Amino acid sequence: MWGRRRQKSKHRHGVVNRKHQSNSRICCLYSAQDGRQYVVTRAPEVGLLRSLGIVENAVIKKEKTYRLGGPVLLRIDSSEIAIGKDFAEQIMVRG
Amino acid sequence: MASCHEIYEDSAVYSKKNKILLMGNPNVGKSVFFSQLTGLHVMSSNYAGTTVTYTEGAMQLGGRQYTLIDVPGTYSLNAVSEAEAVAVKFIESNPLAVICVLDSTNLERNIKLGLELQRFNVPIVYALNLVDVAQRHGFEIDVERLAQELGAPVVRTVAVKGEGFDQLRRELEKIVSAPGCKPAFRPFPGDPWQRAKQIAAVVRKRVSVKPSLLDRLGEAMLRPWPGVPIALVVILASLAVIVSGGKALESLLLIVVENIIVPFFQSLFSAFIPEGTLLNILVGEYGIFVISFEWIVALVFPYVFLFYIVFSFLEDSGFLPRLSVLFDGVMRRLGVQGGSIIPIMMGYGCAVPAIIGSRTATTRKERLIIAAAVCFGIPCISQTGALISLFASFSPVLLVLMFLLSLCVVAAVALVTSRLLKGDVDPMVIEIPNLLMPNGKAYLKKLMLRLRAFVFDAEGPMLIAVCIAAVLKETGLLNFIAGYLEPIVSGWLGLPRDAVMALILGIVRREMAVAPLLAIEGLTPLQAFVGGTVAFLYLPCLSVFGILAKEFGARVAVAIGASTAVTAFLVAGLINQIAHLVI
Repeated sequence: MWGRRRQKSKHRHGVVNRKHQSNSRICCLYSAQDGRQYVVTRAPEVGLLRSLGIVENAVIKKEKTYRLGGPVLLRIDSSEIAIGKDFAEQIMVRG
Repeated sequence: MASCHEIYEDSAVYSKKNKILLMGNPNVGKSVFFSQLTGLHVMSSNYAGTTVTYTEGAMQLGGRQYTLIDVPGTYSLNAVSEAEAVAVKFIESNPLAVICVLDSTNLERNIKLGLELQRFNVPIVYALNLVDVAQRHGFEIDVERLAQELGAPVVRTVAVKGEGFDQLRRELEKIVSAPGCKPAFRPFPGDPWQRAKQIAAVVRKRVSVKPSLLDRLGEAMLRPWPGVPIALVVILASLAVIVSGGKALESLLLIVVENIIVPFFQSLFSAFIPEGTLLNILVGEYGIFVISFEWIVALVFPYVFLFYIVFSFLEDSGFLPRLSVLFDGVMRRLGVQGGSIIPIMMGYGCAVPAIIGSRTATTRKERLIIAAAVCFGIPCISQTGALISLFASFSPVLLVLMFLLSLCVVAAVALVTSRLLKGDVDPMVIEIPNLLMPNGKAYLKKLMLRLRAFVFDAEGPMLIAVCIAAVLKETGLLNFIAGYLEPIVSGWLGLPRDAVMALILGIVRREMAVAPLLAIEGLTPLQAFVGGTVAFLYLPCLSVFGILAKEFGARVAVAIGASTAVTAFLVAGLINQIAHLVI
């Protein structure tokens, strides 16, 4: 189930990528540079992520990437959230 | 020890009249509100998901009685998780009013839920909680403006200090004493997120303040350097406090038990009971009135007491979610996610709340991995106390070895079960709470709640075990059984015959698999370690068996029970055989 979901979202990201290619660079949250603000362009359909505000067009600040397969730490509004690597790789952001 | 959040799911509660609901995001302090408003104490902590099911209690308001329901915290009302489904069911069950608790430090998200609640046309009183923490972060919130924007009363509160509750009660009374009065919510265009952001922007004012020491420490603890060293120091310091404090309390209590309590019962019973088996069962070497005090009061209780002093502090401070973030990478490699660290750590206290706490996991597979890891590799605090007492007469090295063995077993169980079980484990998504200094009153209440639960829930099974021990030993039945088990106990494990008692009592409670070893004289360090290993890996206790069956079904409970028992004999036996080959 998990593997399938990931594949599907990868396919969708491809579409988004082409559409926004002209105005700014899109990459996944995991590999985005630390300490910068981003706009979410695509987030997986996961209830908890959406509830915490990780939705399309949300403005987030990526604070830190933990090494060795660790999570990503980000700030959204006034809350601080850590997201595991496998989700962070599926969240696409525009810098 | 059973959890303090009762797990009863009674559908009748939905049809109750006079219901007032307590709702809000996770970790905004709903449980503290519940305690303040009903006088009943429920467990609260500084991380999301302490209340995984609802709690109900009676609440007095203007001379009339209402039922207050502590609904599990939710971020939205889309029924995407078990907790949200429960929340939706409650708000659709025709309540009189809702107290919606808002976290001042996370206004946008909290207002969003507050707006979603308005769609159900139930009167709402908003409680703007944690205003003190928001101030510390440099935010001022205009309460009157917020009330205007929301179209409903808003009360400022600092729940842990009991501030704002008089006003909250007054506002609630106004609402419930005017039945049929429909709330005057204004519909808003667009989605609740946009509207929430607009409201937050107009009511919140930033005044610059220097980040406090706690905030800076909270940030530092999130970075691998110095976060990981700080985490290790905190864990080692906690262990040191539990072991040394427990030992001190133990020796103190032992003096009282041996010199006052036991002699008192001995002289009391020998005054009117003739010498013989009955007297021995009551006050003999293994007498009920001797070992129940020696084992339960002197050897187990001190460690339980100190563990909960330390653990409750860690829970309330916001340390555990930071630990989850730092070790998510490691946990991910083991097949789970960082958030599982919280229920696993709870297992060092007792496996029952750990297994209930694992309900916050999003998949059944993750829950099963946590439950298996806790049942196999984590000794509960009662058992740890008994192990500390056992190893104290040899060397602290044994205790360190046992701790390392525990970590290895947890890692191995997680690795194996995550590969064997079908399904997925979702990646970690965790909100980092503010680092807080636990509030004295709330902390003490929680400590009392846990100790009371230990005394009431654990004492019964322990006494049963003590009675079985007394009867087996004093009637000679033990020798009879030991004869049959000799090949395993003495041959394979290399333990003295009397250790059979530990195996029999260990079925009832885990520390009882260690306690009988304390009474055996002339134990070698190897025998102590092998005996300790059997005990620590042996069957989960009866209460844990019950909760496993309840949460996962009897098949899972039997599978875990059988495999822990087999592993116990296998691993301990191998340690014994290999040690003999080497020495």
